Amino acid sequence: MNVKKRTFDDRKKIELTIDGRFDFSLHQHFRDSYADCKENNVEFILNLSETTYMDSSALGMILLIKDHAETYNGKVVISKPNEAVSKILEIAQFHRLFTIES
Amino acid sequence: MATFSEKRDIKLALVVDDSVMQCKVLSVLLKEEGYRVFIANDGARGVAMYVKYKPDLVLMDINMPVMNGYVAARKIKSLSQENSLCPLIFITSMDTDQAFIESIDAGGDGILVRPFSPAVFKAKIKSIQRISDLYGQVKTLQQEQQKDAELAEQLMSGVIEARNFSLDRIGIIKKPAELFSGDIQLTALAPNGDVNVMLGDFTGHGLRSSIGAIPLAETFRSMTKKGFSLFEIINQINIQLYSLLPADLFLAAGFVTISSHDKTLYAFNAGLPDAYLFSENGTIKHRILSNHPPIGVLPKLLPDSQLNLLSITETDRVILISDGIVEARNEQGEMFDFSRFENAAIEGVISKNVCKSVLEAVEGFCKSTPQEDDISLIDMPCGGWEKILLGSQTMENTSGQQLKDMYVDTEPAWNWKVSLRGKHLASTNPIPMAMNQINEIEGQADHWQSLYTILTELFINALDHGILGLSSELKNSAEGFSQYFKERELRLKNIEEGCVELQVRHYPFPHGGRIIINIQDSGQGFDIKKYYKSRENILNKDALLSGRGIDLVEQLCDSLEFRKNGSAVEASYVWTLK
Repeated sequence: MNVKKRTFDDRKKIELTIDGRFDFSLHQHFRDSYADCKENNVEFILNLSETTYMDSSALGMILLIKDHAETYNGKVVISKPNEAVSKILEIAQFHRLFTIES
Repeated sequence: MATFSEKRDIKLALVVDDSVMQCKVLSVLLKEEGYRVFIANDGARGVAMYVKYKPDLVLMDINMPVMNGYVAARKIKSLSQENSLCPLIFITSMDTDQAFIESIDAGGDGILVRPFSPAVFKAKIKSIQRISDLYGQVKTLQQEQQKDAELAEQLMSGVIEARNFSLDRIGIIKKPAELFSGDIQLTALAPNGDVNVMLGDFTGHGLRSSIGAIPLAETFRSMTKKGFSLFEIINQINIQLYSLLPADLFLAAGFVTISSHDKTLYAFNAGLPDAYLFSENGTIKHRILSNHPPIGVLPKLLPDSQLNLLSITETDRVILISDGIVEARNEQGEMFDFSRFENAAIEGVISKNVCKSVLEAVEGFCKSTPQEDDISLIDMPCGGWEKILLGSQTMENTSGQQLKDMYVDTEPAWNWKVSLRGKHLASTNPIPMAMNQINEIEGQADHWQSLYTILTELFINALDHGILGLSSELKNSAEGFSQYFKERELRLKNIEEGCVELQVRHYPFPHGGRIIINIQDSGQGFDIKKYYKSRENILNKDALLSGRGIDLVEQLCDSLEFRKNGSAVEASYVWTLK
């Protein structure tokens, strides 16, 4: 199980930490980690500090959580990607779609 | 593959035991379960009967003469076909861990220790048959999937990519990770002779990643053919893929237009690794960085999106790659990465075989490590396109010259006219509309390429110089060249007034026709005599960055005449059927 979930600030912030490879194999688990959160104004923090590699299906999964968050007036923040992952986010120009915190 | 055992209704069981008594007991129980039973009294005979009858179930004793149960089980499992699991159960009175472990090692699917009741025996048979049925279902599904993937692969390479333009001049590497690749490479020829190229990488692999490929290829081809600009094409593809694909499925893509007569490369990188412009000696002249999220992510392209404009020479090469190349790994888990790729590409540019050089470098690096992602690359020359295009056109124009005077004063068979004013000049491109008219009425034909070029060049002249008041002298230096396009964009955005009128008339001949184009703008015009005089004094026109448009139009028309102080122009184009 490579997705760790932490809730704080009175359930208004949910941090998802992805450990190791962020790829298609996490699809179901990643989805399950946020799909039942249907409260308004939730900030999802994707903590990528432990993520070593990310493929294009991971980019797709991030877009899915963005869709989900925005449905409930929330947002998604990408946090602490390492150099390799940052490169992938940069190629996909995700800083134009998300806040990316270093 | 449908085997004999799948087709028949009655299931077959093979009992291998040297005790006649045991064989009889098991036979009775199996028959009660609806099996037809064959009996062998030693291992070797058991193997022979397995080959002959292909049973659905094998019951195997361990201690037997000639060949014991373990050896026989190994033989049977090695002979059983990949697509069917023939369950094999050891029946033994040896109630030891060792017997159990050895049975499973020998390929047994279960073990039943004597003594057992008939009910336990039947339950065991049922459970093993259930697993066998599941195995069969999985295999069938796998085969269907394989067939679908093969079909998709055939569609992609045989239908979509086989229609690519100029495969002999454009180098392509395509090495899918699975049978069907999520990467797609398209090339197409615009009516004005520009070449459009796209390298795309759909999210993921396999069949799922391919659903966008057909609409993508159709849009790319048909819009290129109708003469839409690269930016308009990208915009349309984005809208299409956004509405068509689910949120997590998108296309990282690089688009390039090579415009030989403009000596310009137009490029757009949305989510691919850097694309490269190489000079002949292997120097990297430019890296085209991704500056937009992948296609199909956003409902509209970002408002500040624009094409990269690069000035090119005949001998330059442009190279697009997907991330599978730079992310390819070796046995130690290291990535191939950009520096290794660039070295291989430089070597390839110099030795004039980029595909070979890059492919050898990647394969040499990865050795036997399984490939995780599609590997693809497009390598194309920036020059030499004009010769290919003009070669076919000059022939068609020769006989037209003599016919010209005969038809001067007659009425046209049809005429088409549009005038654009103010802001509409910035938002509307009348050339595809005009080409559509011509294609609709006269049918599609390759020689309309020349006409498209004439229309485009003259319209752009009217717009750039007549309406926007840009001076083409700006384009005489490389810096000015890009400044020109920046300025053009700015002025186009703020355009409030001005008018361009475009008229196309057609005079048919028995085997061809004459098309007269009139374009008039509301601008000041220019000093025509001075312009021609200045051109005469320049010997090496190719080195100039401006004025190439008019030269080209003159080559393609049989007459070109500026009027009203240069603010109006009439071009005549004669075509004949081959």
